Amino acid sequence: MSYMYAVARLRAMENRFLDAAFFTRLIECVTLEEALKSLGETVYGQWITGGATPFDKIIDAELIATCKDLEQFVPDKRLLDIYRMPYDFNNVKVILKSAFKAREGGERRHDLLSAMGAIDTETLVLAIEGEEYGFLPYGLSDAIPHAWSVWEQTKSARDAELVIDERLFAAMKKLAAALNIPGLVRWVEHRVDAENIGSALRLARINIDPATARGYFHKGGALSPDDVTRLMSEPFESWGKSLSHTSFGAIFDALQDRSDMQAVLCDVSKELSASLIVVLSSAHYKTEAPENVLLYLLQKDEEAKNLRIALVCVANGLNREFARRLLSHGR
Amino acid sequence: MEYLGLTLALFGAALASLLAGIGSAVGIGIAGESAAGVMTEDPDKFGSCLILQALPGTQGIYGLLIMFFALNKLGLLGGGEAALVTWNQGLQILASCMPVAFVGWYSAIWQGKTSAASIQMIAKKPEAMGKAIILPAMVETYAVLALLSSILMLMGVQLG
Repeated sequence: MSYMYAVARLRAMENRFLDAAFFTRLIECVTLEEALKSLGETVYGQWITGGATPFDKIIDAELIATCKDLEQFVPDKRLLDIYRMPYDFNNVKVILKSAFKAREGGERRHDLLSAMGAIDTETLVLAIEGEEYGFLPYGLSDAIPHAWSVWEQTKSARDAELVIDERLFAAMKKLAAALNIPGLVRWVEHRVDAENIGSALRLARINIDPATARGYFHKGGALSPDDVTRLMSEPFESWGKSLSHTSFGAIFDALQDRSDMQAVLCDVSKELSASLIVVLSSAHYKTEAPENVLLYLLQKDEEAKNLRIALVCVANGLNREFARRLLSHGR
Repeated sequence: MEYLGLTLALFGAALASLLAGIGSAVGIGIAGESAAGVMTEDPDKFGSCLILQALPGTQGIYGLLIMFFALNKLGLLGGGEAALVTWNQGLQILASCMPVAFVGWYSAIWQGKTSAASIQMIAKKPEAMGKAIILPAMVETYAVLALLSSILMLMGVQLG
């Protein structure tokens, strides 16, 4: 299979994306049953097996089926790995945190594991709990014992998570470089920056000292951890100016006059997430750019995220206007 | 040396057919990959895809046409005796075949790429079929100009 074929097929598949009008209708539904009925008329309908199917399972089933579909015709499967890798690392964090809790007499939370990862969750649980990490990919065989030793020294699950996150970004960058697709390397760097800026904003909001926050920032982005630390020591209003040489500047410029910090945090998170799609969007105009595979998966991911927001809002009778503001439209 | 002129002329005719044909095959192949991708998801687009895929095929036909022109000029069609061609005249026929050979070859490949992009366009916007045809058809202009050049040049060659 060639990328010409794959990209053309993805273009045709894009017609099945749920549009903004559908989300407006979905949010307006009074009951979850009504919302699921609307969802049943879309591509997600095939996963609704009965009235009691949890919507999370429906969304996950569609995402997994999409990955399986793409596996059949994408020339280089590693493009899918770069999308699924964060899910694998997230699963590792869930298992490790469960293990830390178990050591302290707490309960395991394996129900939080995602089936979206490339590594089977059961295999991952057995490997981590049985301390047989040798066969695990992406450098996890080194990162997991390191995370364990960090936890044993500090008893901080957050510090252990940082070790895993650091390895995730290093592995993503290594894989992107191995794929030799320039747009993909830039995307990974952008993702690291987006993660660091998001963390900086959250930490600034709870008045964490920049020097303490330095340890929460990851290497591998276009902005170094030191750049992000310096950013934290500046007032929020000047972040747009300080980041004006990057694509993040515009996001903060647009939010400069907002006084409600909670709303700003919410909007920034949404914009940072959307920027991960925007940064790849130039691939849309290239008929055989491999980046289109990742772009499609990210758009599907965004659709799934929007669905979760809308359905949680309907199920819990939350404020519709608030839910509408949370919806992201990166594509 | 007696047949050098004829050989040069036949070489030109062969190149016209060969290069333009190769270009068309590559161009149709590129557009075909794109069409197959779209039709896997939406088989109803077969008609539109087929038209767009066929567009880069014209260069191959132009090459064949020039080859016939050249063979006719040389008297090789119809079973008669071949015309007497000096090396200079043979070279003139070879040169006459070059526009369609090279422009046909290159334009067919690029037309295939444009057709592939147009096929991706109609995958999302089927109502834009008219515009989708115009884009690769623009590339066709230069293949037609090359065909005209070759025909006019061949007509200008005087055989003794």
